[in-house]
This record gives sequence, structure tokens and C-alpha cells, in this order.
Amino acid sequence: MIRNWIAKVAVTLAFAGSAMSVSAQAAQPIELIGVVKVDKVIVENGKEKHQLEDPKVVVPGDKLLFTTKYRNASTETVRNFVVTNPVPNGVALASDGADAQTVSVDGGKTWGKLSTLTVSDGKGGTRPATAADVTHLRWVLGVVAPGASGALSYNAIVR
Amino acid sequence: MAQATGVSAGTLIENTASATYTSGTASGTVQSNTVTVRVDELLDVAVAGLTSTPVSAGSGTAVLAYSVTNTGNGPEAFNLAINPAVAGNQFDATVQQVVIDSNGNGTYDPGVDAVLPSGSPTPSIAADGSLTVFVIVSLPTTATDGQTSQVELTASAVTGTGTPGTAFAGQGAGGGDAVVGSSGADDNAFDSLIATLATVSLTKAASIADPFGGSQPVPGAVVTYTLTATVNGTGQVENLHVTDAYPTGTTYEASTMTLDAAALTDAADADAGTASGTGIDVNLGTVAGGTTKVVKFNVKIN
Repeated sequence: MIRNWIAKVAVTLAFAGSAMSVSAQAAQPIELIGVVKVDKVIVENGKEKHQLEDPKVVVPGDKLLFTTKYRNASTETVRNFVVTNPVPNGVALASDGADAQTVSVDGGKTWGKLSTLTVSDGKGGTRPATAADVTHLRWVLGVVAPGASGALSYNAIVR
Repeated sequence: MAQATGVSAGTLIENTASATYTSGTASGTVQSNTVTVRVDELLDVAVAGLTSTPVSAGSGTAVLAYSVTNTGNGPEAFNLAINPAVAGNQFDATVQQVVIDSNGNGTYDPGVDAVLPSGSPTPSIAADGSLTVFVIVSLPTTATDGQTSQVELTASAVTGTGTPGTAFAGQGAGGGDAVVGSSGADDNAFDSLIATLATVSLTKAASIADPFGGSQPVPGAVVTYTLTATVNGTGQVENLHVTDAYPTGTTYEASTMTLDAAALTDAADADAGTASGTGIDVNLGTVAGGTTKVVKFNVKIN
């Protein structure tokens, strides 16, 4: 009886040990840090000036700048690095500069430049997609060397 | 710029990026932290006058209608200010009541639609919602037929107004701030009134037929009185009576009373005329401007 009991304890300990090693492995070689700023237009001496501020006061029509910073914190090269960003509810991708991005208008199923994509026009046909139709953005970066970092940004308008 | 705006005050905009990669022989996914932005309340309003042509105002009250539309993104109540003394007015109307179209049918229903007590704001209007406001006015006694006037209604967000961008910390719907939008959080509109009044003039003429074939006012002569009531103006007069007392020393000739050449009975009955022992009374009721009514009756000189 006592032996059995010891064996059970040992099994439990072994299990706990393996769980710990899994969480240690979860330390990712690459990290993503999200940042949001609001792009306020300030008129100074009759000239428009853009100013990035922390989003203390945000109302419909405001332009937000979402940035995802990445860094390869490991000593290993990261490959096939692809960052995906669903466009949050309540905002639309800003139309200026939208065509420079790789986007999806169908929830991330298909990807391309905005000018090449179409959506249903609701009358059985299709129409060219607009920035407001974009559901996801994607950045295909490929290789990130150890210690390399960068930032990926997009502008969105509060609907 | 009075355009309804989208997401509701208090909405949380949450952005999270994720990445897939390979490292050595392993592949992995990683998520960013989630950044959250709360949408603040935009204070905006649009007011419109709903009467495209001037509302006729006569002796009673006239109803002016305005719409107050919450073009912000959160529920908001609005203070209303009525200004009947608009520059260029030929008369300034007297404001009797401000009434909210409680049942939302677009028509003023006395006793059904709620009277807004002076100084009270409107009920809260939902974002993109619209409220019809009735302003009940009457003419001042100085107004004359055909004069025009405007009445201005201004609606201001209860939370506050100011130059666009003015923020009221913590006062927004949904827990955020309230921010004045492009309208300044107030707006105004005008409705027009035209006075449609009528005036009455009465002339009296007499012709005499004496028993000798002449026109001398001698005993036994019959005097025919002709009372001509002329109503002028674009409006109407109500409850118009033509009355006349028999002169002393005369006696009414029974059944000689006429209205526009049609005979009237002397009794107080269904027709307009009544001839009593002292005089006649012809009830013309409501008479529109541009109408002339002629009443005749005979008396005999005693």
C-alpha cells in the first residue's frame, strides 16, 4: 500500500515537472507590442499640422494610428513571419494609403491590394472594395534576424 | 455638416495583432497586447423648421413645427430657446406654449402631446433620433393683416456647448468624455408666420316712403334701413352680428327683415335673424375677408 502511494506521488510530480517545462518553452522568440495613438489635426497659423497624441478623447471621425512593434528577442532567426491584424469593430481603415497595404475584405480568406478586391453590392453583383470594407490587414515579412525589430502601422477612422 | 455620426458613445475599440512564424524546426503564433480606445460622446444637433410656407395666424393660435435631431453619438437632452423677436419682423408673435410631439405622429394633438414647462429640457433623444417640437403662438394686438414674422428655435445640448472640440471630462454617455462636435452642440432654425386678419366696416342708409308717394319723414311713412357689413382682409371674422335698435317713435314692420335680399323670419329660430321689440339682430357667423353682407328692415314712423 505504501509503495503504491509513493508511486502515485512520483507520477504527480513528474506531471507537474513536464507542465513547468511547457510554460518555459512558451517564452516566444518574437514579441508583439500594440500601441494606439490618435492623429489630431491642429491648425496653427492657418496651416494644418498633424499631432500624434495618446487617445484621451476620441470621437467618431477621428483618425487612429494602430502600430504593432515586433522584435526578435531570441538568438535564432525567425522565418515565415506573418503579422495579421483584424480591423476592430467601430473603425474603418483610412482610405489614404490603404492601397499600400495587403488587405482582406472577406474575413481573412483572401488577400490582395485593395484596388484588386471586390465585394458584393447587395444586388447580386459585385463592386470595387473600399477601405471601409477591409476586415483584416496582413504583413508578410519573411525573415527576422536575431535582435532585429520593426513597426507595422495602419490608420483607421472611428466610424 | 449636420450629419449623423456612427459608433455609439462608450464603444470600446480593441485592436490585437497576431503573428505566425517558424523558428528552427518549431512553428509558433504570438499575440500582441490589446490596445483599447473608448469612444467619447460627440455633442451635435441639427434643428430644422418644418413649415415650408408661412403659417397663417388669425384671431386664434397658430402652430409652428420644428425638428430637433441628435446628430451626436450618444443619448442627449437639449435645452430649447424660443425667440419671437427676430430682426426684420413686422410683428413679434406671443409664445403661448412649447409642446413635444409625445406620440411622434408629427401633428399637434392638444391634450395628448406634452407641454414642455418653461426652462425644462427636452426628453433625452437617442443618437440619430429626432424630436418634433411645436411652438404655439398668437398674434399681438398690434399685428395687421398680411404682416409677416419669424420665430426662431434654438436647441443646445444639456451637457454643454462651445467651440468644436470643447471637452467635458467624464460627462459623456457610456462613461467617457463629452466633446462638442462641428455644430457647436447647438443649432437654430426659423419658422415663418403671416397674419391673416379681417376688418369689418358697417354702413347704414335709410330711405323713406311717405303715404303720399313722397319721401317725407311724416307719421305713417315707412323707413327702410340698409345695413351693409363689409369684411376686408385675408382672414375671417367670427361670430359677426349685425344689430340695430329701432329709432324712438318708430315701430318695426313685421316680417320685413332680409339678408342679402332673402327674407328672414322675426322669430328666434333656425335662420340668422331675430326681430325683437327693441331691435333686430342678424347673426352672420364666420365671414371671410372680401365678403359683403346686406341686411334690410322697415320701420314705420308713429
